[in-house]
Amino acid sequence: MQSRVPSKITRSVSMAVSTTLALAIGVSSTSAAFAGELNILTWEGYADPSFIKDFETKSSCKVSATYVGSNDDFAPKLAAGSGVYDIIVPSIDTIGQMRLAGFVDSIDLKKVPEFGQVHAKFRSNPDVTVNGEVWAVPLIWGSVSVLYRTDKVTQPNSIKVLWNPEYKGRISLWDDKSAIYWAARMLGYDNIYDLDDTQLATIKARLIEQKPLVRKYWSTAGELAQLFLNDEVWVSNAWTGLIAKEIRKGGKPFTVAEVDPAEKSEGWMDSMMLVKGSPNTDCSYQFINYMLSAKGQCGIVGSTDYFPTNPVSAKTCLPAEEARSRHLDDPGYVDSLVMWQMPKRLDAYLETWNAVKAAM
Amino acid sequence: MTPRQKRYWLGFAGVFGVPLVWTSLFLLIPYAVMLAVSFWTRKFPLFVPDFQFGNFRQVFADPQYLEVLLRTGKIAALVSVFALALGYPLAYFLIFIVRTAKVRNFLYMVVIVPLWVSYLLRAYVWKIILGTGGVLNSFLMWTGIIDQPSGLFLYNQTAMIITLTYIFIPFMVMPIYTALEKIPPRLIEASHDLGEGPFWTFLRVVLPLSWGGVVAGATLTFCLAFGDFVAPSLVGGPDGMLVANTVQTQFGAALNWPLGSALSTVILLLVLTIITISERSERYGKIDLD
Repeated sequence: MQSRVPSKITRSVSMAVSTTLALAIGVSSTSAAFAGELNILTWEGYADPSFIKDFETKSSCKVSATYVGSNDDFAPKLAAGSGVYDIIVPSIDTIGQMRLAGFVDSIDLKKVPEFGQVHAKFRSNPDVTVNGEVWAVPLIWGSVSVLYRTDKVTQPNSIKVLWNPEYKGRISLWDDKSAIYWAARMLGYDNIYDLDDTQLATIKARLIEQKPLVRKYWSTAGELAQLFLNDEVWVSNAWTGLIAKEIRKGGKPFTVAEVDPAEKSEGWMDSMMLVKGSPNTDCSYQFINYMLSAKGQCGIVGSTDYFPTNPVSAKTCLPAEEARSRHLDDPGYVDSLVMWQMPKRLDAYLETWNAVKAAM
Repeated sequence: MTPRQKRYWLGFAGVFGVPLVWTSLFLLIPYAVMLAVSFWTRKFPLFVPDFQFGNFRQVFADPQYLEVLLRTGKIAALVSVFALALGYPLAYFLIFIVRTAKVRNFLYMVVIVPLWVSYLLRAYVWKIILGTGGVLNSFLMWTGIIDQPSGLFLYNQTAMIITLTYIFIPFMVMPIYTALEKIPPRLIEASHDLGEGPFWTFLRVVLPLSWGGVVAGATLTFCLAFGDFVAPSLVGGPDGMLVANTVQTQFGAALNWPLGSALSTVILLLVLTIITISERSERYGKIDLD
């Protein structure tokens, strides 16, 4: 057993080294063997080698992915200078901001023949299609629910579990403006994307009140999985699917479950957008089409456990049972979620969340 | 221009040209840009050039920024105090107690060598030590002091102070070591000959003569800790946001570069003030040896 200790440390150290490298380099270098290269600013699990390798071989476009931990990471990264990324994959509440800030080009639908197969609900979203022009190609969708350790936390039925003093020091929360949405839903507000100043002040107070209970705000899927695996936290809000999957892979003696609280879970949909002035549009369109195809849809579903946006192609590769659990034929499931929208006063939301984090 | 003058200027440009260009390109111009942006205005979806003092007003009027500045000052001061409390006796031990140069150099290297390891890695290691399933908890449980792993060690301000003290202690030891090394042993002998015991010799001879090292070390550790943003994100908890994280947030998620620039300008002025004060106090502590 003695030998296990160093191996654990070695693993942690090598993880730290790779974190360092990832922070230092950000984007991995490209190989000369590829005809083109594609830099994608996206989410963990969305550029998994299990399906990206196949795309690279077919298209000879080399994919380099950089991961965001929050939708609030897109604008700063693009504002810092163009020419780095070719495709970004923001969520539905952020695509409008990308368009308005002039960061993206519209999509030439002639080059995306399978666009029409995408769930109509997503295609016709007012931020996806604006005045007949399409700005984003829906890629994948899912929810944000409550994730908890079954051996430590009794199945919660409300968001209030994240404010339960019984779990003091074992609670985590996504470091994202959506923290405001969570507090708003707990308080029973139904205008969560159009909160007024009084409501924001109440929310701020509730979130500050929660701080002594919170062990750590998480900012990436990997970080939250580690917090669970290292026995640091027992309950958190989480992207349904990916994180629980990561934790189960960790081989710990406990298990985790996800639950939709009575106040509903949040829904999101991530879309591919073309960064303005990218010279690699050829590779970009190949990528968009690949991701809408059976290989891309089932590949990303396999690596994330989220729900496909193109039921036509996903049906050809998902087993019938999984097709049901992934809501292939009932996009109406969206209606049971509180779908993300861009807050009317984004600045006020961001300021409130930052004030919460800065407070004691 | 005479050939002599020409030679002078050619030599001047050859020796100082590149460093001066480098300094202006990577230090002076960025400072000027930062100052300029601090007067801009945040306007959805980005921000627009402007000249107004609203960002500075916000930094001083909104209590959250003052609170973060005070918290950062407190953490940085505690880090300096702990680094001094550990670093001074260590440097003293190396210079005055250790007799052989070989042992002294070896011990000095032991203190300095962590600087060769990536800063991020050293901070990360503390997560492994202090975590619920970490080395410290395993040890305490093995000794029977506690029977349940404690969550008290990680993700709070204490963890940040421990980590930052560990990381910055070489910056305290180095200047104190150098200052102590320069003290002629005959001065200490003279103090003893005149009947002073070790306590007063230390207080009246050694400490004043090494004061410059103490001030330099304290200034370095304070400023380094004041500007740190890695420790809060790795080992800090929800109550551990430091001013550098606030700046990072303004340039990141908040997308308010003007406010971030104003905040950075305030921090720059604070640090310059601290350096000025420390320079003064360094002069103040000097003893005339002539």
